[in-house]
Amino acid sequence: MIKNVLVSVSGSPNSLTATKYAICLAKVMQTKLFVVYVIDSKVLSELLKSRIFVEAEARAYERDLEQQGKVFLERIKKMADSRGVDCETFLLRGSVSEEVINKINEVGADILVMGEMKELTSRSAVFYDEGERIFRKSPCSVVMVKNQAMVENLYKELV
Amino acid sequence: MRLTDFLRPEFCLMDLKAGNKESAIKELASVLLPSGKVNDKEDFIKHIMERERLGSTGIGNHVAIPHAPTQSVDGLVVAFGRSIGGLDFQSLDGDEVNLIFLLGTNPQDLGTYLKFLATLSRLLNNRQFREEFMTADSAAALIEVLKKHEKS
Repeated sequence: MIKNVLVSVSGSPNSLTATKYAICLAKVMQTKLFVVYVIDSKVLSELLKSRIFVEAEARAYERDLEQQGKVFLERIKKMADSRGVDCETFLLRGSVSEEVINKINEVGADILVMGEMKELTSRSAVFYDEGERIFRKSPCSVVMVKNQAMVENLYKELV
Repeated sequence: MRLTDFLRPEFCLMDLKAGNKESAIKELASVLLPSGKVNDKEDFIKHIMERERLGSTGIGNHVAIPHAPTQSVDGLVVAFGRSIGGLDFQSLDGDEVNLIFLLGTNPQDLGTYLKFLATLSRLLNNRQFREEFMTADSAAALIEVLKKHEKS
Protein backbone atom coordinates (compact mmCIF):
# COMPACT_ATOMS: atom_id res chain seq x y z
CA MET A 1 0.00 0.00 0.00
CA ILE A 2 1.42 3.35 -1.02
CA LYS A 3 0.79 5.92 1.70
CA ASN A 4 3.22 8.76 1.11
CA VAL A 5 4.69 10.54 -1.89
CA LEU A 6 7.62 12.90 -1.49
CA VAL A 7 8.79 15.39 -4.08
CA SER A 8 12.17 17.12 -3.96
CA VAL A 9 12.06 20.64 -5.39
CA SER A 10 14.63 23.32 -6.20
CA GLY A 11 12.47 26.07 -7.66
CA SER A 12 13.49 25.19 -11.21
CA PRO A 13 10.94 24.72 -14.03
CA ASN A 14 11.71 20.98 -14.00
CA SER A 15 10.93 20.74 -10.31
CA LEU A 16 7.64 22.56 -10.84
CA THR A 17 6.71 19.97 -13.45
CA ALA A 18 7.73 17.22 -11.02
CA THR A 19 5.54 18.82 -8.36
CA LYS A 20 2.51 18.86 -10.66
CA TYR A 21 3.06 15.20 -11.44
CA ALA A 22 3.47 14.42 -7.72
CA ILE A 23 0.16 16.20 -7.00
CA CYS A 24 -1.50 14.06 -9.68
CA LEU A 25 -0.01 10.88 -8.20
CA ALA A 26 -1.03 11.81 -4.66
CA LYS A 27 -4.56 12.65 -5.77
CA VAL A 28 -5.08 9.45 -7.77
CA MET A 29 -3.52 7.22 -5.09
CA GLN A 30 -5.13 9.21 -2.27
CA THR A 31 -1.85 9.61 -0.44
CA LYS A 32 -0.25 12.42 1.49
CA LEU A 33 2.27 14.59 -0.35
CA PHE A 34 5.50 15.78 1.27
CA VAL A 35 7.46 18.52 -0.45
CA VAL A 36 11.12 19.17 0.37
CA TYR A 37 13.15 22.24 -0.57
CA VAL A 38 16.77 22.26 0.64
CA ILE A 39 18.87 25.40 0.91
CA ASP A 40 22.21 24.15 -0.39
CA SER A 41 24.42 25.36 2.45
CA LYS A 42 27.02 22.78 1.42
CA VAL A 43 27.78 24.65 -1.80
CA LEU A 44 27.88 27.95 0.11
CA SER A 45 30.43 26.47 2.52
CA GLU A 46 32.45 25.18 -0.42
CA LEU A 47 32.54 28.66 -1.97
CA LEU A 48 33.50 30.22 1.36
CA LYS A 49 36.30 27.70 1.76
CA SER A 50 37.60 28.43 -1.72
CA ARG A 51 37.48 32.16 -0.81
CA ILE A 52 35.21 33.05 -3.70
CA PHE A 53 32.65 34.22 -1.11
CA VAL A 54 33.12 36.24 2.04
CA GLU A 55 31.05 35.49 5.16
CA ALA A 56 28.58 38.36 4.82
CA GLU A 57 27.99 37.48 1.20
CA ALA A 58 27.34 33.80 1.90
CA ARG A 59 24.86 34.73 4.66
CA ALA A 60 23.06 37.08 2.26
CA TYR A 61 22.78 34.32 -0.36
CA GLU A 62 21.49 31.93 2.26
CA ARG A 63 18.78 34.43 3.26
CA ASP A 64 17.83 34.94 -0.39
CA LEU A 65 17.62 31.20 -1.00
CA GLU A 66 15.50 30.80 2.12
CA GLN A 67 13.12 33.49 0.93
CA GLN A 68 12.88 31.93 -2.52
CA GLY A 69 12.28 28.52 -0.94
CA LYS A 70 9.46 29.87 1.24
CA VAL A 71 7.74 31.50 -1.72
CA PHE A 72 8.06 28.34 -3.82
CA LEU A 73 6.73 26.09 -1.07
CA GLU A 74 3.78 28.40 -0.41
CA ARG A 75 2.96 28.27 -4.11
CA ILE A 76 3.09 24.46 -4.07
CA LYS A 77 0.90 24.27 -0.97
CA LYS A 78 -1.74 26.35 -2.76
CA MET A 79 -1.47 24.15 -5.85
CA ALA A 80 -1.97 20.99 -3.76
CA ASP A 81 -4.88 22.56 -1.83
CA SER A 82 -6.56 23.51 -5.10
CA ARG A 83 -6.52 19.83 -6.10
CA GLY A 84 -7.64 18.56 -2.72
CA VAL A 85 -4.30 16.94 -1.87
CA ASP A 86 -3.07 16.78 1.72
CA CYS A 87 0.35 18.41 1.55
CA GLU A 88 3.13 19.14 4.05
CA THR A 89 6.16 21.21 3.12
CA PHE A 90 9.67 21.29 4.55
CA LEU A 91 12.28 24.00 4.15
CA LEU A 92 15.62 22.47 5.13
CA ARG A 93 19.28 23.42 4.86
CA GLY A 94 22.44 21.39 4.39
CA SER A 95 23.57 18.88 1.80
CA VAL A 96 20.63 18.54 -0.60
CA SER A 97 20.99 14.79 -1.12
CA GLU A 98 21.49 14.01 2.58
CA GLU A 99 18.53 16.11 3.66
CA VAL A 100 16.19 14.61 1.06
CA ILE A 101 17.23 11.04 1.92
CA ASN A 102 16.81 11.76 5.64
CA LYS A 103 13.33 13.15 5.06
CA ILE A 104 12.33 10.13 2.94
CA ASN A 105 13.29 7.90 5.86
CA GLU A 106 11.69 10.14 8.47
CA VAL A 107 8.25 10.36 6.83
CA GLY A 108 8.38 6.84 5.39
CA ALA A 109 7.90 7.96 1.80
CA ASP A 110 7.01 5.15 -0.58
CA ILE A 111 7.70 7.08 -3.79
CA LEU A 112 10.16 9.88 -4.47
CA VAL A 113 9.31 12.19 -7.36
CA MET A 114 12.09 14.17 -9.02
CA GLY A 115 12.40 16.55 -11.94
CA GLU A 116 14.19 15.42 -15.07
CA MET A 117 17.96 15.50 -14.62
CA LYS A 118 20.29 16.97 -17.18
CA GLU A 119 22.83 14.78 -18.91
CA LEU A 120 25.99 14.34 -16.86
CA THR A 121 28.79 16.47 -18.22
CA SER A 122 31.70 14.60 -16.69
CA ARG A 123 32.68 11.51 -14.77
CA SER A 124 33.25 13.60 -11.65
CA ALA A 125 29.70 14.99 -11.89
CA VAL A 126 28.53 11.61 -10.56
CA PHE A 127 30.08 12.64 -7.25
CA TYR A 128 29.00 16.28 -7.24
CA ASP A 129 25.53 16.29 -8.79
CA GLU A 130 23.01 16.29 -5.96
CA GLY A 131 20.16 14.99 -8.13
CA GLU A 132 22.32 12.07 -9.21
CA ARG A 133 23.12 11.27 -5.58
CA ILE A 134 19.48 11.37 -4.53
CA PHE A 135 18.52 9.14 -7.44
CA ARG A 136 21.15 6.54 -6.55
CA LYS A 137 20.79 6.64 -2.77
CA SER A 138 17.02 6.86 -2.43
CA PRO A 139 15.73 4.11 -0.14
CA CYS A 140 12.37 4.14 -1.96
CA SER A 141 11.30 3.89 -5.59
CA VAL A 142 11.99 6.97 -7.70
CA VAL A 143 9.85 8.51 -10.41
CA MET A 144 11.72 10.89 -12.70
CA VAL A 145 9.22 13.15 -14.41
CA LYS A 146 9.55 13.80 -18.14
CA ASN A 147 7.32 15.22 -20.85
CA GLN A 148 6.27 18.58 -19.46
CA ALA A 149 3.38 18.97 -21.91
CA MET A 150 1.84 15.67 -20.84
CA VAL A 151 2.19 16.60 -17.16
CA GLU A 152 0.59 20.00 -17.74
CA ASN A 153 -2.42 18.29 -19.32
CA LEU A 154 -2.70 15.75 -16.51
CA TYR A 155 -2.55 18.52 -13.91
CA LYS A 156 -5.15 20.64 -15.70
CA GLU A 157 -7.55 17.71 -15.97
CA LEU A 158 -7.14 16.88 -12.27
CA VAL A 159 -10.08 18.37 -10.40
CA MET B 1 26.00 22.05 -15.00
CA ARG B 2 27.95 22.66 -18.21
CA LEU B 3 30.12 25.77 -18.03
CA THR B 4 30.31 25.96 -21.80
CA ASP B 5 26.55 26.53 -21.91
CA PHE B 6 27.31 29.98 -20.48
CA LEU B 7 30.90 30.85 -21.38
CA ARG B 8 31.14 31.20 -25.13
CA PRO B 9 34.07 32.22 -27.39
CA GLU B 10 32.49 35.62 -28.10
CA PHE B 11 32.55 36.41 -24.37
CA CYS B 12 36.29 35.74 -24.06
CA LEU B 13 39.01 38.38 -24.32
CA MET B 14 42.37 36.76 -24.85
CA ASP B 15 44.38 39.93 -24.24
CA LEU B 16 42.79 42.39 -21.86
CA LYS B 17 43.83 45.98 -22.47
CA ALA B 18 42.84 47.19 -19.00
CA GLY B 19 45.55 48.29 -16.60
CA ASN B 20 43.63 47.94 -13.35
CA LYS B 21 40.81 46.04 -11.70
CA GLU B 22 37.96 48.44 -12.43
CA SER B 23 38.95 48.90 -16.07
CA ALA B 24 39.16 45.14 -16.52
CA ILE B 25 35.68 44.69 -15.08
CA LYS B 26 34.33 47.40 -17.39
CA GLU B 27 36.08 45.84 -20.40
CA LEU B 28 34.60 42.43 -19.62
CA ALA B 29 31.12 43.82 -18.96
CA SER B 30 31.22 45.42 -22.42
CA VAL B 31 31.96 42.04 -24.01
CA LEU B 32 28.64 40.77 -22.69
CA LEU B 33 26.51 43.50 -24.25
CA PRO B 34 25.89 41.70 -27.57
CA SER B 35 24.39 38.82 -25.60
CA GLY B 36 21.38 41.07 -24.97
CA LYS B 37 21.31 39.79 -21.39
CA VAL B 38 22.82 42.87 -19.78
CA ASN B 39 20.07 45.46 -19.40
CA ASP B 40 22.06 48.10 -17.58
CA LYS B 41 25.83 47.90 -17.90
CA GLU B 42 26.59 50.67 -15.43
CA ASP B 43 24.38 49.15 -12.76
CA PHE B 44 25.95 45.74 -13.39
CA ILE B 45 29.44 47.20 -12.93
CA LYS B 46 28.29 49.05 -9.81
CA HIS B 47 27.14 45.78 -8.20
CA ILE B 48 30.39 44.03 -9.14
CA MET B 49 32.47 46.83 -7.63
CA GLU B 50 30.34 46.89 -4.47
CA ARG B 51 31.11 43.20 -4.05
CA GLU B 52 34.82 43.89 -4.54
CA ARG B 53 34.68 46.36 -1.66
CA LEU B 54 33.64 43.50 0.67
CA GLY B 55 36.90 41.77 -0.20
CA SER B 56 38.85 41.05 -3.34
CA THR B 57 37.66 38.21 -5.53
CA GLY B 58 41.28 37.62 -6.50
CA ILE B 59 41.34 34.15 -4.94
CA GLY B 60 44.98 33.30 -5.55
CA ASN B 61 46.83 31.28 -8.22
CA HIS B 62 46.56 34.33 -10.51
CA VAL B 63 42.78 33.98 -10.73
CA ALA B 64 39.98 36.45 -9.99
CA ILE B 65 36.23 35.82 -10.11
CA PRO B 66 34.41 39.16 -9.74
CA HIS B 67 30.72 38.37 -9.34
CA ALA B 68 27.40 39.71 -8.12
CA PRO B 69 23.67 39.14 -8.32
CA THR B 70 21.83 42.02 -9.94
CA GLN B 71 18.53 42.79 -11.60
CA SER B 72 20.58 44.33 -14.42
CA VAL B 73 21.12 40.96 -16.08
CA ASP B 74 18.84 38.22 -17.34
CA GLY B 75 19.79 34.75 -16.14
CA LEU B 76 23.48 34.02 -15.69
CA VAL B 77 26.11 35.89 -17.71
CA VAL B 78 29.80 34.97 -17.85
CA ALA B 79 32.78 36.62 -19.51
CA PHE B 80 36.45 35.71 -19.39
CA GLY B 81 39.49 37.89 -19.82
CA ARG B 82 43.19 37.07 -19.85
CA SER B 83 45.76 39.64 -18.84
CA ILE B 84 49.10 38.57 -20.24
CA GLY B 85 51.08 40.99 -18.13
CA GLY B 86 48.99 40.55 -15.02
CA LEU B 87 46.79 42.96 -13.07
CA ASP B 88 46.80 44.15 -9.50
CA PHE B 89 43.51 42.79 -8.15
CA GLN B 90 44.43 43.13 -4.45
CA SER B 91 44.47 39.33 -4.46
CA LEU B 92 44.52 37.35 -1.24
CA ASP B 93 47.97 35.94 -2.03
CA GLY B 94 49.31 39.32 -3.19
CA ASP B 95 50.12 38.03 -6.69
CA GLU B 96 48.98 39.64 -9.89
CA VAL B 97 45.98 38.18 -11.69
CA ASN B 98 46.04 36.80 -15.21
CA LEU B 99 42.75 34.92 -15.48
CA ILE B 100 39.54 36.83 -14.77
CA PHE B 101 36.04 35.37 -14.86
CA LEU B 102 33.25 37.95 -14.60
CA LEU B 103 29.89 36.60 -13.49
CA GLY B 104 26.53 38.22 -13.02
CA THR B 105 23.20 36.63 -12.24
CA ASN B 106 19.64 37.69 -11.89
CA PRO B 107 18.67 36.98 -8.25
CA GLN B 108 16.02 34.58 -9.55
CA ASP B 109 18.76 32.30 -10.88
CA LEU B 110 20.86 31.94 -7.75
CA GLY B 111 20.88 28.14 -7.90
CA THR B 112 22.47 28.03 -11.35
CA TYR B 113 24.95 30.72 -10.36
CA LEU B 114 26.08 28.84 -7.25
CA LYS B 115 26.49 25.62 -9.20
CA PHE B 116 28.50 27.43 -11.87
CA LEU B 117 30.80 28.98 -9.28
CA ALA B 118 31.29 25.67 -7.46
CA THR B 119 32.11 23.83 -10.69
CA LEU B 120 34.49 26.58 -11.84
CA SER B 121 36.17 26.61 -8.45
CA ARG B 122 36.86 22.86 -8.68
CA LEU B 123 38.35 23.22 -12.15
CA LEU B 124 40.54 26.13 -11.08
CA ASN B 125 42.09 24.01 -8.34
CA ASN B 126 43.72 22.05 -11.16
CA ARG B 127 47.08 23.55 -12.06
CA GLN B 128 47.06 22.03 -15.53
CA PHE B 129 43.69 23.60 -16.27
CA ARG B 130 44.99 27.03 -15.26
CA GLU B 131 48.12 26.61 -17.37
CA GLU B 132 46.14 25.53 -20.43
CA PHE B 133 43.84 28.51 -19.98
CA MET B 134 46.86 30.77 -19.79
CA THR B 135 48.45 29.39 -22.96
CA ALA B 136 45.41 28.82 -25.21
CA ASP B 137 46.02 30.68 -28.47
CA SER B 138 42.42 31.59 -29.26
CA ALA B 139 39.01 31.88 -27.66
CA ALA B 140 37.92 28.74 -29.50
CA ALA B 141 40.94 26.85 -28.12
CA LEU B 142 40.11 28.10 -24.66
CA ILE B 143 36.58 26.74 -24.88
CA GLU B 144 38.02 23.40 -26.02
CA VAL B 145 40.21 23.38 -22.90
CA LEU B 146 37.14 24.02 -20.80
CA LYS B 147 35.20 21.25 -22.53
CA LYS B 148 38.07 18.79 -22.08
CA HIS B 149 38.37 19.44 -18.36
CA GLU B 150 34.63 19.48 -17.84
CA LYS B 151 34.47 15.94 -19.17
CA SER B 152 37.35 14.60 -17.10
